[in-house]
Amino acid sequence: MLRKKRREEEESEINITPMMDIVFIMLIFFIVTTSFIKETGINPNRPEAETAIRAEQGNILIAISPSDQIWMNKRPIELEAVKFMIEAAHAENPESSVVIVADELASTGLVLDVMDQIRSSGISKISLSARKK
Amino acid sequence: MKRKYKRKKDESEINITPLLDIVFIMLIFFIVTTSFVKEISLDVNRPTKSPVKEQKRSEVISVRISAEGQIFVQERLVDIAAVRANIEANLAIKPSASVVIVSDRDAAAGFLVKVIDQSRLAGAKNVSLAAQK
Repeated sequence: MLRKKRREEEESEINITPMMDIVFIMLIFFIVTTSFIKETGINPNRPEAETAIRAEQGNILIAISPSDQIWMNKRPIELEAVKFMIEAAHAENPESSVVIVADELASTGLVLDVMDQIRSSGISKISLSARKK
Repeated sequence: MKRKYKRKKDESEINITPLLDIVFIMLIFFIVTTSFVKEISLDVNRPTKSPVKEQKRSEVISVRISAEGQIFVQERLVDIAAVRANIEANLAIKPSASVVIVSDRDAAAGFLVKVIDQSRLAGAKNVSLAAQK
């Protein structure tokens, strides 16, 4: 009698298989959708634009402050280092494009210089960040 | 002997609790690190320096931005609000023309983005950038 009772108790565990299924599906969803965006470190005042669209592949961010400093990976960098940094970031994530987050007051010359540096590292998908009007 | 063997086999299920632990930890990690924020941006087209495609002057609508932020469409001073109308008028005359924005190096990047936006709104298919030394 005692033995029988014990056996019954052992068998009445909660069935966790459906939970496992759901957890696995969620895990796969999050693994697939995760894209690791490295913050630039500053939040420039983006210019307004009406035709701006969401950059789906824009994972490499490079910011330009109003005082013409270039920021990437939370630290200021030199213009000469942009090419190297972009190449490294692109090697980590080959299908990503570059988004330049330039402040409204940054000089156009520097934006174009940064663009040339990115272009020389072999990436042609460059876009300029903006704010929806 | 035979019976004992059978019972042992019955009870020897794989213990999935550690697996579940790891899966949960991964799930929490991915939930925490996922960022769905995407930059809103404008695609830009910067002609490469090396093989410069010679465009006929007649097929280009030039927009010049001076250091002070004055905008000249075909060398005529226009207000920022009138850029779209001016480009539209020029596109009506030469529908296949591409817009080339020539910006002074010291002009603010905000003007550049606004002019790109306005030319897109005007229906220009090809907008490219150039810097003036």
